[in-house]
Amino acid sequence: MSEAVAVNNEMSEEELFRAYRETGDIALRNKIVEKYLYIASVLAKKFVGRGVEYDDLFQVASLALIRGVDRFDERKGLKFSTFITPTITGEIKNYFRDRSRLVHLPRKVSELRVSIKRASEEFLAENGRKPTAAELARTLGVSEEEVLRCSDAGGVVSLDTPVDREGDGMSLHDVLPADDGIFEAIEDRDALVSALATLDAQERELVRCRFVKELSQVETAKRMGVSQMNVSRMERKVLQKLREILKKSMVG
Amino acid sequence: MNRYLSLELPLRREMMTTVRLATGGVCAAAGLSYDGGEDCKVCVTESLLLLMRRGFSAASVQFYEDARGIDVRVRGTEGGGDTALSDEDEIALALLNALAESVCVCDADGSITFLFGSQA
Repeated sequence: MSEAVAVNNEMSEEELFRAYRETGDIALRNKIVEKYLYIASVLAKKFVGRGVEYDDLFQVASLALIRGVDRFDERKGLKFSTFITPTITGEIKNYFRDRSRLVHLPRKVSELRVSIKRASEEFLAENGRKPTAAELARTLGVSEEEVLRCSDAGGVVSLDTPVDREGDGMSLHDVLPADDGIFEAIEDRDALVSALATLDAQERELVRCRFVKELSQVETAKRMGVSQMNVSRMERKVLQKLREILKKSMVG
Repeated sequence: MNRYLSLELPLRREMMTTVRLATGGVCAAAGLSYDGGEDCKVCVTESLLLLMRRGFSAASVQFYEDARGIDVRVRGTEGGGDTALSDEDEIALALLNALAESVCVCDADGSITFLFGSQA
């Protein structure tokens, strides 16, 4: 091999990582990952029983291990297991945190929310009153807007909460749109009306008989004074025409 | 939560469930979050397993209420003497440091102390 390093089991941890740092050999990195994969397994097992399957935890831990191998610098004198354990643990905890919310907040927002809570409690203990947003912003070194945005984020709101302060009886539940596809239905109807306008009078009569009055082809044929075979052919032609028009309107 | 709670136990793996349950109760009473309580259980269990691997046959676990959270002290009370760190011990110690605050391991008296903040 050209740049690849011959790895043997006698190589120390320091030698392995030095060789990888100097060559960037992916095969060597894979061997290092395999060698320390047991740490990912050990740590994943520690967090089993919190509602996440071991396999998922092991995957999160393994990905953190791979990233950790790239970041580890053996020259700093730290053992790899000491370096990688907090890294993997942090990733697993982030995974739990991200999963524990029905609505996922960005990590920065979640962290700032914790800092705001902590700073508020400390301020209250010291000053006997709650801090203002501006005071919190100064303490945390962020903008006032960020404090306000993070304070509002992640809260749970009842569907019975009034939508205004005038007490007209409207709750959040009353004004939230229902998820019954009503808007899609309106769009579909508009598209169909436009498509039907392109048909001639006889074709529109056929559509009315077959799909509005739901008559059979024989009954339609009698109503229109043509043969059932004619109705069948005309129906195929009309449906094909409508399909093409609707397809064009969707693409457009 | 009482200001102080103490457990004395033989260091056997089958005792770990009892210790974890007791730890969970203490954490809940102290107002720790679910994740904080679970992390504290991991730390207590890891500390006891560390002591077990170091040759202790009995241990005590003490929970103190602290202004900052729960102060946990795990100490080997019988046996001991083996202070060599295995790979497993290294991982356990790193895990303790990752999950808890102010971790202190004293080889001389076989004790491990750590703090779980009220924000946990």
